[in-house]
Amino acid sequence: MLKVVAACGNGMGTSQIIKMKISNVFKRLSVQADVHHMSVGEAKSQASNFDVVFCSESLMSQFKGGARTKIIGLKNLLSEQEIEDKIKAAGIV
Amino acid sequence: MNSSAFDMVLVIWKGLFANIMAEPAIFIGLIVLIGYALLRKPWYDCFSGFIKATVGFFIMQAGAGGLVNSFRPIMVGLKDRFELQAAVIDPYFGFNAVNAAFAQMGWTTSLIMVALLVAFVWNIILVALHRITKIRTLFITGHIMVQQATTGLWLIFIGVPFMQNNIYGVVACGLLVGTYWAVFSNLTVESTQELTGNAGFAVGHQQMLGVWITDKVAGKIGNKEKSVEHLELPGFLQIFNDNVVATSTLMLFFFGAILVVLGPEYLAKNKFFNPASGELFIKYIFKTTIQFAVYLYILSAGVRMFVAEMTESFKGISDKILKGSLPAIDCAAVYGFDAAGGNSILFGFLFGAIGQFVAVIALIAFHSPVLIIPGFVPVFFDNATLGVFANKKGGFRGLAIICFCSGLIQVFGGAFAAGAFGLAAYGGWHGNFDWDTLWPGIGWLIQNFGSLAIALAIIVMLIIPQLQYRRNKKGYFAAANPDMEPELSTNPA
Repeated sequence: MLKVVAACGNGMGTSQIIKMKISNVFKRLSVQADVHHMSVGEAKSQASNFDVVFCSESLMSQFKGGARTKIIGLKNLLSEQEIEDKIKAAGIV
Repeated sequence: MNSSAFDMVLVIWKGLFANIMAEPAIFIGLIVLIGYALLRKPWYDCFSGFIKATVGFFIMQAGAGGLVNSFRPIMVGLKDRFELQAAVIDPYFGFNAVNAAFAQMGWTTSLIMVALLVAFVWNIILVALHRITKIRTLFITGHIMVQQATTGLWLIFIGVPFMQNNIYGVVACGLLVGTYWAVFSNLTVESTQELTGNAGFAVGHQQMLGVWITDKVAGKIGNKEKSVEHLELPGFLQIFNDNVVATSTLMLFFFGAILVVLGPEYLAKNKFFNPASGELFIKYIFKTTIQFAVYLYILSAGVRMFVAEMTESFKGISDKILKGSLPAIDCAAVYGFDAAGGNSILFGFLFGAIGQFVAVIALIAFHSPVLIIPGFVPVFFDNATLGVFANKKGGFRGLAIICFCSGLIQVFGGAFAAGAFGLAAYGGWHGNFDWDTLWPGIGWLIQNFGSLAIALAIIVMLIIPQLQYRRNKKGYFAAANPDMEPELSTNPA
């Protein structure tokens, strides 16, 4: 089971939207994923517990990737195509 | 109906009211449950949705209770020593203030949730009738919907006596707020689509009027060739991307200043501060002000939990009914499209903050009866959003002027509203751009002209999309969504 988190400034609106889109994409790709959403502040301190962190491109600099954790920055948060392309590019599926 | 049957109906109604209607956490849980059931989700999803919505709401209430307590020394002290009231302009503090006011009046906050439902359904109807209404957008930003329905209902309950604490007020609020969601998110379609290169969403947040004004004005006062992209920012501003750090810093600064002015003697005399225990004043200030961040964090965690369930259930239902309407979502969704690679966000925040500080000093200098304390959400999210739109059309100069002015407007509009609508007594006002401009105007009209003002506001708002349509008949629906109505669109995807 892949552990995924979507992060945005306040952990409310944007990350919720990203979360819904990511879940759709993983479902379509038949990947089992547990998707959470939270604020950047929280996600920063918990990033190492997740396999993938999704956020807006403008917030990418807030995160340091790790051995386990991949950071994916999105431009259009509503584009499932972009999410799918970036998941594949990062070698997650 | 004979009397015993009538008695039974009454008993059932009273039971429903006491156990569900008067208990908003359970009520919102049931709304989610019904939504999931309509979406034919498996029973365990329905159950967990119900539980998370209910638990989330209770967590939010725990945070709200803590905030009210943290506020006490400051509210009491300012009133006592300076005859001043203080209000934080922030949607969560505003929400908290209305909830505290509802509790004091003996009104149930479940009515807010009913108003929210009416508003959401009304927005769906307006989109479904888009051939007549010219509305293209459905507002789905759940946490904002909760906050706006809350403030809207307060404005109506205190402004119109016959609508107070009853279903008339709830329906009127639903129609008024639902119209605002539909019309003003619809107003951001062109500018947002242009900014994002037709990403397929509109802004559904708290500064939609601000976005529209910015889009119209920025190009005239600035030069888009001179973008903020070419400017270096001091690195420490990065910390404001983290809401915990940002809130704590703002609260430490502003509430700390107030506590220093109140002084250790006063606070010790009133048993808020206990020097006899060896506690230092500086530690007392730090601990007291940081509590705001603590409870705000708890409150937000609760809101996040129940809103996530609510949004999923609402979104699912609206997707079923309305194929292809444009979703109006959180303003932060535009941040990824900043032409200056994120610089506009921090510069917008910076100039907005300068505007707010100048305005707060002006309030003190002119002895305003209401002192405004800048909250994090309006100063950051409104001004960052306006900054992104302003930089696109008007470069650095456009951004600087618009965000500075927005900061001034937020504080002055907030000070007026917090005083005029009685929420300064509870320590908060909604405080985002539209709630410091458009809504104080609507609220003032309601206070002076009652239900007539509500009807008038709805009608005037509904005329706006008609005017937009008339100016651009050909591209109007295509701008929103090429697949919304193929026969209406000139450019099917």
